[in-house]
Amino acid sequence: MNYFIRIVSFLCGVSYSVAVHAVSEISIRAASITHSQGDAQNVVLHLNFDQPKFNKSTPTLTLSSALKQKSTKDWTQFKLKCDLPENTSLGEFNCADGLLKNAQANIPFSLEINRLFNQGVLDVHATLQLRNASLSDEAGLHAAENLNGKIDVSLRQEGRAWAWQTALDWQSGEVFWQPFYVANGGHQLSASGTLEDDLLNIKSAHLKIKNVGELDADGRVRLSDTKLMDLNANLPSLDLSTAYPLLFKPFLEKTAFNNADVAGNAALMLQVKNAELKAFELRLKDVDIADKNQKFAFYKLNAKLPWSYDTPKSVSMSYENGNLLNLPLGKTNIQAEVNRFSLTSPNIRLPILDGALNLSDIAAARIGGQWYWHLSAKLEPISMADFSAQLKLPRMLGKVSAEIPLVTYSGGTLTTDGSVVLNVFNGTATVTQLVMHSPMGIAPKLNADIALRNLDLGDLTRTFSFGAIEGKLDGDIEDLELQSWKPVRFDAVMQSSPGKYPKKISQRAVENISALGGGGAAAAVQRSFLRFFEQFNYGKMGLSCRLRNDICQMGGIESTPHGYVIVKGSGIPAITVMGYNQTVGWSELLERVKRVTDGNSRAIVK
Amino acid sequence: MKKILLSLLLLLSTVFASQFVAAAADLEVNTPAISAIKGSMQARHGQLGAHYASGAIGLTKDGLIAVRDANVVPLKDRAALNSAVAAENADRANLYKEIATANGHPEWQLEIQSTFAGRWIDKAQGGWYYQGASGWVQK
Repeated sequence: MNYFIRIVSFLCGVSYSVAVHAVSEISIRAASITHSQGDAQNVVLHLNFDQPKFNKSTPTLTLSSALKQKSTKDWTQFKLKCDLPENTSLGEFNCADGLLKNAQANIPFSLEINRLFNQGVLDVHATLQLRNASLSDEAGLHAAENLNGKIDVSLRQEGRAWAWQTALDWQSGEVFWQPFYVANGGHQLSASGTLEDDLLNIKSAHLKIKNVGELDADGRVRLSDTKLMDLNANLPSLDLSTAYPLLFKPFLEKTAFNNADVAGNAALMLQVKNAELKAFELRLKDVDIADKNQKFAFYKLNAKLPWSYDTPKSVSMSYENGNLLNLPLGKTNIQAEVNRFSLTSPNIRLPILDGALNLSDIAAARIGGQWYWHLSAKLEPISMADFSAQLKLPRMLGKVSAEIPLVTYSGGTLTTDGSVVLNVFNGTATVTQLVMHSPMGIAPKLNADIALRNLDLGDLTRTFSFGAIEGKLDGDIEDLELQSWKPVRFDAVMQSSPGKYPKKISQRAVENISALGGGGAAAAVQRSFLRFFEQFNYGKMGLSCRLRNDICQMGGIESTPHGYVIVKGSGIPAITVMGYNQTVGWSELLERVKRVTDGNSRAIVK
Repeated sequence: MKKILLSLLLLLSTVFASQFVAAAADLEVNTPAISAIKGSMQARHGQLGAHYASGAIGLTKDGLIAVRDANVVPLKDRAALNSAVAAENADRANLYKEIATANGHPEWQLEIQSTFAGRWIDKAQGGWYYQGASGWVQK
């Protein structure tokens, strides 16, 4: 090794303090030393044989130097002061005063070397104590502050290899090692193994993380690129309330699980071979996980999730209850088969409110970091009363059910083939061409066509406190697009259903429809004496809205030179309601609907 | 002569084509998606404001933000700083995409992003850092 050392300029001064009987000091100085790996400057080695200590004369050695690796530009100051053993066996050093310091690190330490050689072979046993050490890389992404810890190391040469053993006691101090943050000490590591060339063999390691759990591991690390070549790790019991923020959250940053409250217990086994993940098994025991933004929650989650690169595994998961986008989920059991990067299950039943979502023929695969899946879904009837209450909508009656032969999810987009049928207001609402983009993202998008048939206007108007209308309504909402669950585009046409049935409209409903038309002038009641009637007959009613750029282009069942007909009278007493606003701002229209349904409408009927 | 004029016209139209795009794009367009994203960014700004001022983060030249010097932030807050920067950049990328989509031209996303990059830097408060041609610059 010393062959590499090329001394550029070497000034060596040995100063003899010429006492009568002995040399009392030796100083060796080198202005500069260069080496293929790094440089040293101002190297001073100072031996003092005449330091009185405890009335004894203990020799001391002081070494100071500026060091620099070839690849870096900053110099590191190194200082070490040691008491030398009195006998000449060179066994024990006690270096109480050591310091490693540069722009990014300030590491005071003490070093105790108990043994250097054993029977002529290098056999070191040393203890390093860090004292309020601080260090950081330039970007501050790997840093430690006020670190106190004791590192006990034994190193013995065995042929070409080194046998090592270490015990590490992290006493106090905080560390941020992107993406991990550890707030304080109290953690211990003990490990042993061998070091051969570039490979660090860890025969066994035991890590105790305070308040989190314990880890047993063995494995191999390639030191040149700190690559984990092999690993068998076992974490038999982890407290998730502390382990989630420390160990799991950093890996879940880009998933929906990155902002949750988690409690419960987990166990994890992990196997890495030749730098590839070979197998793992995650068990969850009575885990509660709740998204802080209330998007989902699962309670009493129990799971056994094994995975292996080589053999298919059965996974199982269950939860007592939970909720998803405000919909309560009932007790659920899930069984599936996982085969390398794909997952299949013949059937999963998710109870929701008083019904259930039945998923079948499920196949999912993770390709290139993205999920792709397809399944067929059948929604067992859910009562609209519960459904509307949960979503804080006006109370609706009826049932919602659905059958979708094929649901496909690919790269964040959910597409359906088939229809969702809602049985509401004694009629049906059929949703087809349903496509959702990033439903759990910040700006979810939904596209669909909705066909409404034979909705009972009596139920509908009572639900939305609109003023009574008797009759049936058909509607076609095409090309609907919702962004963040708000409509931004549609072509909607609503009109009386064909067929024979009683068609009556109350005075109040007439007022309200007029109010929707905007201003006082929007409505006209043909004959003024009609205001004395409580309700009127009508032949047909209808309203259309084509929403683009927050503007609703309005129309009725037929056009007139100055507007459009919303309600066309028939029989006695009959009434016709006109609309005159061809365009209405969508938010203005919503405001009007809100005023009407809140019962604050003060429309004037002339 | 006619030929020269024609080629001049062609040249001019190529030069100004990108200007026309920027001129035509309505950067203030509002949709529920855009207002949801802006709302999320607004909420996060309370957390990021101090980090802009301290120089922990800065505005990049491509309309995103980046950690410039985490050393000015206490260790315990650095993981949250990283998550906030990642979340902000996800929102910003979404915002540019949504504005392009709302303009009916999804292919304008990159141009909208670079227009915004300049706007963010113009609107930045004094003392904040932004990425210049050759590294970080303090405004």
